[in-house]
Amino acid sequence: MIRIVDSDFHIDDLYSSIKSNKNGAISIFVGTVRDDLFNENQIIDSIFLECYEDLAIKQLEEIRDLAIKRWKLNDCVIIHRVGKILLGDKIVLIITSSSHREEALRSNEFVIDQLKIKAAFWKFKEFGKDSKIIEAKKEDRKKSLKWKDIVK
Amino acid sequence: MKITVKYFSWIRVKLNKHEDLFEVNDKLNFQDFKSYLIQKDNFYLEVFNDDSIKFFINFKEIENEEIKLHDGDELGILPPVTGG
Repeated sequence: MIRIVDSDFHIDDLYSSIKSNKNGAISIFVGTVRDDLFNENQIIDSIFLECYEDLAIKQLEEIRDLAIKRWKLNDCVIIHRVGKILLGDKIVLIITSSSHREEALRSNEFVIDQLKIKAAFWKFKEFGKDSKIIEAKKEDRKKSLKWKDIVK
Repeated sequence: MKITVKYFSWIRVKLNKHEDLFEVNDKLNFQDFKSYLIQKDNFYLEVFNDDSIKFFINFKEIENEEIKLHDGDELGILPPVTGG
């Protein structure tokens, strides 16, 4: 299941959706809004997520399909929010299920690392009515490179 | 023919719009269309000179600038992504 949603989601419902007797392991990653600084002395109160939806869906499907193939997953769910998201709230959810824990854990890390540098989403940090673009991080690109020889 | 151009992130903010619809001559390729946009507004020069920006036609990344454009095509201009 791949979804781009403009409101909060319930982890329990999505967890239930992938339950299967074939699973020996289910790995869940949730990305949330952290208390980064907006200015020198001000903590953000929200972020805004922009998306090129048709392209992002296609990119997330490609990432999911690679993960399922490489780690022989039973399932892979990716949910990503867009729009205004308050401090502490959920941004993204990745659930991977497999027969054994190593596959579920490794594939989950792969999916978030790839999503970070490939999927058409852009973050802005917000304080009141002010908004600033969040720049892409070099570390995210480095992290994604480690999968180059592992997933082909 | 008509080409839609979609803007995101700092480009959308700078232009203060999500998209434009351009009516151009038939038989243009992407390279020609780049020149057309630069002639219309010098801002596009900054965009096309920025190596971090990626260009997609109908949700497929452009690998060859000589790719032909067709009526109804959608060009996405994408600064580095920051989702997740």
